[in-house]
Amino acid sequence: MSTLGRQYRGVLPVLGVLLLLVTLASIRWGAVSISLHDMGTALRKALGGAGTLSLDERIFLEIRLPRAILTVLVGASLAVGGALMQALFRNPIVEPGLVGTSSGAAFGAALYFVLGAALKVHLGAWTLPLAACAGGMLATWLVFRLSGAHVVGRTSVVSLLLTGIAINALFLSGVGFLSYIARDPQARSITFWQLGTLSGASWNAVFVVGASTVLCIVASLRYAQPLNALMLGEEEAEYLGVNVRRLKAIVLLVNVVMVAVATAFTGVIAFVGLVVPHLLRLLRGADNRFLVLGGSLMGGILLGLADLAARLLLSPAELPIGIVTSVVGVPVFLVLLRQRCYYV
Amino acid sequence: MTRTRLLSMIVAALSLSACGRFASDDTRGDHAQRIVSVSKQYTEILYALSATDDLVAVDVSSTYPPEAKKLPTVGYHRALSVEGMLAAKPTLILSGGPSNIGPEHVVDQLNALKIPMKYWDVPGDLDGAKTLIRDMGKEFHKEARADSLVAGLESDMARVLDPAKAPTDTPSVAIIHYGQAMNLYFLISQGTAGQMVRWAGGRMAIDTAGFTRMSSPEVLAKANPDVILMTDFGYDRLSGRRDILALPGVAATKAARDGRIFRIEEHDIIYYGPRTGKNVDLIRTLLHQPGTPE
Repeated sequence: MSTLGRQYRGVLPVLGVLLLLVTLASIRWGAVSISLHDMGTALRKALGGAGTLSLDERIFLEIRLPRAILTVLVGASLAVGGALMQALFRNPIVEPGLVGTSSGAAFGAALYFVLGAALKVHLGAWTLPLAACAGGMLATWLVFRLSGAHVVGRTSVVSLLLTGIAINALFLSGVGFLSYIARDPQARSITFWQLGTLSGASWNAVFVVGASTVLCIVASLRYAQPLNALMLGEEEAEYLGVNVRRLKAIVLLVNVVMVAVATAFTGVIAFVGLVVPHLLRLLRGADNRFLVLGGSLMGGILLGLADLAARLLLSPAELPIGIVTSVVGVPVFLVLLRQRCYYV
Repeated sequence: MTRTRLLSMIVAALSLSACGRFASDDTRGDHAQRIVSVSKQYTEILYALSATDDLVAVDVSSTYPPEAKKLPTVGYHRALSVEGMLAAKPTLILSGGPSNIGPEHVVDQLNALKIPMKYWDVPGDLDGAKTLIRDMGKEFHKEARADSLVAGLESDMARVLDPAKAPTDTPSVAIIHYGQAMNLYFLISQGTAGQMVRWAGGRMAIDTAGFTRMSSPEVLAKANPDVILMTDFGYDRLSGRRDILALPGVAATKAARDGRIFRIEEHDIIYYGPRTGKNVDLIRTLLHQPGTPE
């Protein structure tokens, strides 16, 4: 991969520093404030394996730190997923869930909430993430099959887009039906999961989402340059030596793995995948290598700020993060729509 | 559309909570231990036992006695956030049992933080409630007070169940409970509420176990109850008789025609406790009073 231009390179360190600051703030503040001293002593005790942890130190190690890291990872996944989808569909209003991933994951989760106990399926803390992940994968596979994307010469973006809309509607109807037959506590679980929450963060979640995020971002960087060529048009990309059909399949696969795994642990978080790539394009430009790297950082920044707001706005109550991202995302998106001239 | 409505509803609910009980502060800092009760039944018993010196927060459904509403709240007992719980700095959480507290990951996190959680595994009937009162009395060194509460409960029950005072009619009753998750309506047919209705001289109009989704107006219309009791959360959200009659199937019932739709506090009918005898008396009054037809 050739190196990014100077116009892009200068932005990334700034985003990196911002991400560190936001993450630190996210760890520091909440319903319980954790002092820097407690963070330091907790890390020393944890790494040295000596000393009894105080409650604040345990909160830092067991709750805040995994939550902050998961926030960064999920933000990165959603933002990079958004950049990939927008490049693939050459459409600025696409987000990762368009190919059915989010609605499929929501259906899988709803199925678990309503029927999980009856089906005697229980794998402990992994049951919900696996159900959501399976749902996301199934929906995306259906989109891929029904759009004819698996058939040579039938990889129409329009077909994928329309099939995605149809499958999304189908799976959301399934979620609606399950909500309808659910009992009150189950309905509440479905509702809150659909609005997204990072409160279930754990070190297990961090390791799983971390592995998928890192691997998928590395893969995304590998295919960012061909995606740049695709922005010229499918035929033009073919002339430039890009195997468009293969590129689409790989990018879709990368997106679905990254988004399904992230969504499985946090629920549906809207607008991050839509807004972050736009902000980055406004900031510097539309090179997909920059959008992937910048998205990895800015997704974390945006979601970190949203999580901080979700925890502080009505402290000690906690807003579902999807509410915050939607409330902030909608006006931002509307402003961006008025400035479409920047989009290639 | 649904999502937008959902968002608006939750934002509104949380905003109201923020203006109200979430804004409450624990004004005393001299607690020997810091107890958080996320069970409305436990909260009421703690107050009845006068064992609230170290009670620092309750869940939002703990609404009795009124003093409980002045305490900070940690949220709804099945939708808790770990941050909200930790803000109360609890040293003991009274959970009401595994099925009473959620979501699962919050319970796991609280366990990981080694915050003690306690519940008393007693049967869900009136005898279980008596055992619970005694067990909680023992836990909080209020044995004498617990014995007196149980004696009072037994005497109240003996009075309300006196065959000589039994009402002559047996009205059929439907209880509409407004679920807090998605504005769903339920008919509570069996369990605690059903039993209390039967003690009060009524019979349940819809004979199914647990909660039944009020999905079809025909279910309620066919049951045609003489009396409808509606729990406070739903009743208070509706702005009068017209709204209530607009609920699915309600207008077609005898209760609606006779004007016998009455409000009841959830904490008077959802669980057994020290006031159960008095609550049965209250329900009996509601079931056998004349209506106000339009």
